[in-house]
Amino acid sequence: MGVVLRAPFPRRRRRWPQVARNGFRYLFLGAWRNWLRNLTSTMPALASMTLLLVLSGLVGMAAFALERAAASQTASAAVLHVYLRDDATPQAVAALKARLKANRDVVSVGYTSKAQALKQAESRPGLPQLANAAGTNPFPASLDLRLRSVADVGAVAAMAARSPATDPLTPTSYNPGTYRRIQTVMSVVEVLGGAFLVLMGFVAVAVTANSIRAAILARQSEVRIMQLVGAPRWMVRGPFVVEGALTGAVAGAVAGLVTLVVWGIGIAAGASAFVRFAPGVTVGVTALAALVILVGGFVLGTVASLISVHRELETT
Amino acid sequence: MASARAGALRSPALPALVELIGATRRYGDVVAADEVSLALRPGEFAFLVGPSGAGKTTLLRLINREIRPTSGEIWVDGLPAHALPDRRVAELRRRVGVVFQDYKLLPRLTAVENVAFALQVSELGVSDDEARDRSLDALEAVGLADKADAFPHQLSGGQQQRVAIARAVVSQPPLLIADEPTGNLDLETAWQVMKLLEQISRYGATVLIATHNLEIVRRMQRRVLTLVSGRLVRDQPAGRTGRLAWASS
Repeated sequence: MGVVLRAPFPRRRRRWPQVARNGFRYLFLGAWRNWLRNLTSTMPALASMTLLLVLSGLVGMAAFALERAAASQTASAAVLHVYLRDDATPQAVAALKARLKANRDVVSVGYTSKAQALKQAESRPGLPQLANAAGTNPFPASLDLRLRSVADVGAVAAMAARSPATDPLTPTSYNPGTYRRIQTVMSVVEVLGGAFLVLMGFVAVAVTANSIRAAILARQSEVRIMQLVGAPRWMVRGPFVVEGALTGAVAGAVAGLVTLVVWGIGIAAGASAFVRFAPGVTVGVTALAALVILVGGFVLGTVASLISVHRELETT
Repeated sequence: MASARAGALRSPALPALVELIGATRRYGDVVAADEVSLALRPGEFAFLVGPSGAGKTTLLRLINREIRPTSGEIWVDGLPAHALPDRRVAELRRRVGVVFQDYKLLPRLTAVENVAFALQVSELGVSDDEARDRSLDALEAVGLADKADAFPHQLSGGQQQRVAIARAVVSQPPLLIADEPTGNLDLETAWQVMKLLEQISRYGATVLIATHNLEIVRRMQRRVLTLVSGRLVRDQPAGRTGRLAWASS
């Protein structure tokens, strides 16, 4: 066997603290420097992503408020009033009440007398005049039911209407159109809002991916040299991904702040009016939304840069 | 001492550092490399010659795994370049120093920074001080210690090529490939660069140079591999002064 003067290619001794320092420097500090240097070319991506996230925040919060309002509406829609005839006998009313209580869909059954109905009506705008004009108490006594689900209202109302104790002209408060209208509005808002956000998301990702592409092209020679001298793939691609994530995070932070400020001002301006305008939207909910927007921006930026890096640096 | 060492390095008993076995690369109907088989041993110095479009650059790119062969095998320092997954390409590239005709230096970095950059991105465990020391050593080896802090635009073509060579050898790869390294240089400077590459091979690195410069090829009297239309038509051993097949045809 000949004399081997040259040993096989040496395995590199890993000096982990140094590896970590250099890795951090190339990945994060390098990305930060390049991001600052390319801020002008990144600005369109930053602006479009910020706009998307601000709109997402506003639309998201509005959807949340709407959902809460719809939930409240749905809850009230699950309340059914069965109006009783003025001449209904106590036995007939008791029989009807017993039948309703026995129904599985009914959670509770209450009773409102004619006098109580008049008193309640007097607190509602317009109704006292109606009561005075009639000379007598026009408001019927009623059995007030709370149902498990708004979907059960129709069946229970039909059953109650057949009772001899029930007013034949206006047997119940059931209005089949109400629930359907709420559902329709909610569905339309969801579809339109979703489509809008998807469209804006697509635009933001495309613009950001393009700005990362421009950054890659601007540093093509550096990238080429890194690839040729055997830099690990994560080191060649990583800084660009970090740049995209940074763009997204900055956009998310700005948008989150805008959301926080806008809704914060709204809440501070008139808490009681705000509760009616956007029920459930509190400072805590707004802060959580701002955090979600920040994370969303970070994720969007990362995804956009991953797409670009995958396309532009596919060749090794 | 040096020649004895070089002789031992070129001993046929040593396994090949680079081995191509029927390597073929097609681009559609064009065959850029056609069933090429060859072996380069550790410390060997060889020229790759042939007319334009003969497949010289393709062969170097196959060895450096910039492209994959359509068929055949390519082994570099024990690594199968033909079957190497993308995630392991960097492993192979760290064993291959590359020199280009157009130097490919980063204009905003000084000579020593260009060398140190290549070293640190390929060896993450190297500190700044160590990278600078090793880069200065490499620049000194190519005779450019006094130009370490010069930017590429302040250097002549020959000096820039020396920086590129320092960059290619700073991490001491066992293989150095050069694609027309003297293409932009005058004859005298080209000769100096070639002597430098020859010196590097004496220290144990295998050197493969694709060139059109037949004058230098004749003067150096080293192994000459001749490609024509992607085929290896002649493998002339070192020390022979035979005709260069494609040039005389």
